[in-house]
Amino acid sequence: MSAKSESAWQPAKTDKSERLLQLTCALLFAERGLTKAELFRSIPAYVEAVNSGTVEESLNRMFERDKTDLRATGIQIYTPNPAAEAEEICYVIADDTFIWPSHIDLSAKQLQLLTLAAQVWSQASLQSDASQALVRLKALGVEQAADDLIGFAPRINTHEPSFLPLTTAIENRTEVTFSYRKANGEVSKRQVQPWSLHNVDGQWLLQCFDVKQKQPRNFVLKRIVSKVQILRDGDLEVNFEAPSNELLETTTKELMDHIKGQVCELKVKRDSGAWFHFHLDDSSNSKDGQISFNFMDLELIAEELRDFGSDVTVIRPKELAEAVKAGFQKVVADHA
Amino acid sequence: MPKPNNFNGEDRYNFMLALVGFLQNRGPVSVSDAAAHFELDPAYLRKVVTSINEARAEVRGFEQWFFMIDVEELEENGMLSLIDNLVIDDVPKLSNRQASAIAAGLNYLATIPAFKSDPDLIELQNILAANTIRGINPLVELRPGSAEAGAELVRKAILAETQISCEYINQKDERSVRTLEPLRLDPRADGWYLRAYCPIHKEVRNFKLDRMRRIEVLDVQRSNEARSVSEIEDAIYIAAATDTKVTVEVEPEAYRLISEFKTISEPANVENGRIRAEIKVGHLPNIGRLVARYGGAAKVISPEQAKVHVKNYALAALGEPVHSKVENED
Repeated sequence: MSAKSESAWQPAKTDKSERLLQLTCALLFAERGLTKAELFRSIPAYVEAVNSGTVEESLNRMFERDKTDLRATGIQIYTPNPAAEAEEICYVIADDTFIWPSHIDLSAKQLQLLTLAAQVWSQASLQSDASQALVRLKALGVEQAADDLIGFAPRINTHEPSFLPLTTAIENRTEVTFSYRKANGEVSKRQVQPWSLHNVDGQWLLQCFDVKQKQPRNFVLKRIVSKVQILRDGDLEVNFEAPSNELLETTTKELMDHIKGQVCELKVKRDSGAWFHFHLDDSSNSKDGQISFNFMDLELIAEELRDFGSDVTVIRPKELAEAVKAGFQKVVADHA
Repeated sequence: MPKPNNFNGEDRYNFMLALVGFLQNRGPVSVSDAAAHFELDPAYLRKVVTSINEARAEVRGFEQWFFMIDVEELEENGMLSLIDNLVIDDVPKLSNRQASAIAAGLNYLATIPAFKSDPDLIELQNILAANTIRGINPLVELRPGSAEAGAELVRKAILAETQISCEYINQKDERSVRTLEPLRLDPRADGWYLRAYCPIHKEVRNFKLDRMRRIEVLDVQRSNEARSVSEIEDAIYIAAATDTKVTVEVEPEAYRLISEFKTISEPANVENGRIRAEIKVGHLPNIGRLVARYGGAAKVISPEQAKVHVKNYALAALGEPVHSKVENED
């Protein structure tokens, strides 16, 4: 180890890991909980902050942030007496924070699959959550098997900056607003209750309830053209009731039905890149270089077909042929 | 996974809790074994041990030191031995977010033919489904060409450490029959990539599975050169000195074009969603396909040569004559 990399293992000055550990341990130790004033006297990091002249307001903010951090990592802090006088409110860590569901008894092979599942995020938005989860799973002590899973490195991509704020809003069940640009260029402001994120053919979709339209809707993430804003009523976030499983299933089924109803037919140039892509040597897929399949969204499929240039001709629907063409014309005009 | 020196405060805190739970359950273990188990550097582990040993608070007038990992044992024998632990009996269970991330990862694995009906995978999906919010859902594949036909054959070759032959059509639309030594399959949203040692170029290269056909597993073992490949980059784009820098302007609909090259943050509003960025292209004529697919949401700013390639690509696709001469096209 060189001196340089050795120093890299030192936590940064701003690293809060030691403070969070002190806070967690103090709360676990004082089983009946501690008040904020007690915590400020107990935790060395807080005491130090007070001694170095941190004003109460900043100290309070630090404490709020620390609580948020603990909750985000699944350490459940609650107050058994929320109605008490402010100075008497106690903070307690829930008993079951460290109790795993009894049926979690992992085999070596399963740990391996979980590792692969966590690595799926290694270049995408949930990287940090996935890798923290993996640390905990490994800490259960199972040894990884010498593996036959080597040779696979599946990865999810999230190119859309709205992905992370939407996962947070889904988890906290908070309403959000954003500007959405439809494929025809029309922009409108949406207010939604975000339910879940789906990926269909490589495109991320937000499944949600559109509050103004009063119905479930799917939005393509890459068409969100503004910040995702948490909706507030005064100081409070606007929360919503979780949708029933039935409603979620119906909404997904409607999307699938929509897709089933949209078919395109293409003619593909023999032995071109598109011919390879659609596996047209496998006769079950084609007749005379023609192929048909379902699609979700006209503009999105047009985008993919533009990848093949003149190797592909759209036979039907006419709107798709026109969309592909209009895109190319725009490109020519933009690069004149 | 983040390298340990990229661990931020939350990651480090998470690891400290996990390590105490691990040592509590497992009993004494050598630093090197523990480091290997968590895939961390032993030096990182030692620093974390110091932080754990320093954890204390003055609870109701009494100073409590919460843990003691035997420092002498560590210094002399390289052993981690937790001899005092006042508070943590076990590893903290997964948070909702953590469980959701893993569940989504499993769901993604389940879309890959090799895992689809794996009983272990199904069991894990069930365990996690019972404990997660329904955040991120299974991926649905619809198009032909997305679930890759040759994947199983290639995977067999990887596991058996043998070579394959196939016909490959490159991005210049040139077809050739190649011998490749497959090392790893990388299913991605935009298709499957094969990382293979190429005996002609004597290096690991990327091949898109949907550009291969007539794949045959050969009865030839992997060469020593291919065996000596130790690590394969995660990124699909690998920089080369011969790359051309191209400045592009993209709307949110085309952020994918630049996301490998620039960290993208949320646009404040519709007006400033357009971003200018520099991307690198190995074979410059490819810029035509890369930009034209977005049908106007992406645009080349410079160099001039790249603009010409884009325009020509679109003109050719429209079946219109391509006028301007492009120099240096290989």
